[in-house]
Amino acid sequence: MTSLNRALVAIALSAVVAGGAAAALVVSSEHTPNKGLGIVLGLVTAWAFVGTGLYAWWRRPGSRFGALFTAVGFTYLLGSLTASDDSVVFTIGVVVSNLFFVVFAHVLLSYPDGRLQERWHAWLLGAGYALCVVGPLPQLLWGWTERMQESCPDCPESALLVARNDTLRDALNAVTSVIGVAIVATVLVILIRRWRAATPPQRRGMAPILWSGVAMLVLLGSALGSDAAGISRLTDVLGWLGLLVFASVPWVFLIGLVRSRVARAGAVSELLLRLGEAPGTGTLRARLADALGDRSLQLVFWLEDKGSWVDAHGHPFALPADDDPARGWTAVELEGRRVGAIVHDRTLSDDPELLGSVAAAAGLAMENERLQAQLRARVEELRASRARIVEAGTQERRRLERNLHDGAQQRLVAMSLTLRLAQSKVEKDPEKAVEMLAGAQEELTLAQAELRELARGIHPAVLSDRGLGAALEALAGRAPIEVDLAELPGDRLPEPIEAAAYFVVAEALTNVAKYAHASHATVRVARMNGRAVVEVADDGIGGADPGRGSGLRGLADRVAALDGHMLLDSPAGSGTRLRAEIPV
Amino acid sequence: MGHRVLIVDDHPSFRATARVLLEAEGFDVVGEAADGASALTEAGRLQPEVVLLDVQLPDIDGFDVAARLTGNDDGPVVILVSSRDSSDFGPLVMRSGARGFVPKAELSGDRLQELL
Repeated sequence: MTSLNRALVAIALSAVVAGGAAAALVVSSEHTPNKGLGIVLGLVTAWAFVGTGLYAWWRRPGSRFGALFTAVGFTYLLGSLTASDDSVVFTIGVVVSNLFFVVFAHVLLSYPDGRLQERWHAWLLGAGYALCVVGPLPQLLWGWTERMQESCPDCPESALLVARNDTLRDALNAVTSVIGVAIVATVLVILIRRWRAATPPQRRGMAPILWSGVAMLVLLGSALGSDAAGISRLTDVLGWLGLLVFASVPWVFLIGLVRSRVARAGAVSELLLRLGEAPGTGTLRARLADALGDRSLQLVFWLEDKGSWVDAHGHPFALPADDDPARGWTAVELEGRRVGAIVHDRTLSDDPELLGSVAAAAGLAMENERLQAQLRARVEELRASRARIVEAGTQERRRLERNLHDGAQQRLVAMSLTLRLAQSKVEKDPEKAVEMLAGAQEELTLAQAELRELARGIHPAVLSDRGLGAALEALAGRAPIEVDLAELPGDRLPEPIEAAAYFVVAEALTNVAKYAHASHATVRVARMNGRAVVEVADDGIGGADPGRGSGLRGLADRVAALDGHMLLDSPAGSGTRLRAEIPV
Repeated sequence: MGHRVLIVDDHPSFRATARVLLEAEGFDVVGEAADGASALTEAGRLQPEVVLLDVQLPDIDGFDVAARLTGNDDGPVVILVSSRDSSDFGPLVMRSGARGFVPKAELSGDRLQELL
């Protein structure tokens, strides 16, 4: 037996003992009428609360609801102290006899997890507890009211009696009654607001407790109001009706629980049947929403290769956080492998058994939908990368045009004008003409160099003619930092792979020179297990951002277009390693 | 003294060469500007007779600068220049209010004189 179970059994035994003591007190009382009925009603009500509370406590040890519900039963038993013929015990009984009302209001305000949602609710309840204790004091200090004397002529005198003062007592009674009505009305407003803000699954969960609580509070509030107005018969009737509704609360709660269990078991069987009829037809979400009674339910799928969640359209999806008050999620597994998750109203998390059954039933159908979602995610990714490749092509053409226009073309224009000037000077000023021709020669050399660089950027001729090894050697020779070609492929690779590998290395070395503060880089290109593996590592500062600039993303797209992938490992302070793997 | 000319181009090497070439052929180069905004300012300040205006400028397009310069009756004559061919621009040259277009590589005093 667990320590929780032992504690619960001990509490149950305490309730039996306390109930027995209360019954003994009533039996021995000389001023209590209808003893038999009083004992039966009192014990049934108190034990029903304690029993239901302990059951709820055992079911959901993390929730305080069960403990509070149990406390209602115990505080209800305190009322039996008023059966004592000893004036001190009797007086204590009067003071504590109404506490159970406030504990019950506490249950209502903190439903379903036993925690109050607002800080001021605690203040409101504090005021309620205080009023319960202070409320009877006017009678205890300044004498019983006429109604009390009529209903209990043989009750002991108050141990706190100072002197009879009917005026002061009645005035203070009226004040406490008004405050009582105000507290009850505030609790009612909170409960009704909560009902209006609740989602359908939340309403289903809170309905039995909330509505019986509301009914009891309305009757109690009316009884307090009629007491303040001095309508004693109405006060009695309303008080009795309130107690009757109060006594029914545990039973209403239990009946609601059983009904929902039966309904849910039926829903799970129905779900299994319907999933068996037509698996994977795309209506899984609707079927699970029916089974769980949550129209807001969403299905998300786990992509093992990416380590991420996507929705049915293949779009990335962020699961609700553990402390999200509105939404929760339940993982769905198939043969021990995670396939997806059900994202649902948070209230459903109170019933993990039901969620577990539905998740287990949905595993196979979920796997089918997961494959479709995976396909959609892939299509979505391809669409995005295709758009990026087209955009990168346009950008690249724009860049080339600009470079040609601003570079070689301007030099050729200047050269043309200089040659024309030189031509006009040949006869009159031959020395100036020679000087101008030398300037033109210089411009021509620079224009050639710029054109060469540009052509190499488009596609290096040495790559097509002599292969990747030679192209990378040339690239390393031109790099502004020391580059070690640690490994190069012996044989030629297919042309698109060679080109992609070349540009991965070129872009990586450009980034190393620009951002890494490195003195040395190592390049490796190898053929491994049917893949071309390209790796560029440097000894720089690390901390490279994969999202920086369009260069790396463009290369990742280029590599992805060949069914490859690129990884960037760049811990701060430990250099950067860029690795691309392309199937050959 | 020849026509007073303002040279507008964002490439300093072209401005320098064009200045030498035009001055050698009797033009009076009164100033230079590297972008559209300063071209408008300098044209207002120096009151040139001719503005040699590159089409592609870093801020305002050469066609827009030409339209603004030739908007008034007493505005300067604008000759557009570019390292591109005039066929690249279609009817834009005529619409801009410019007197004509000279490819940069063909710039000479005579070509300019023909258009004035």
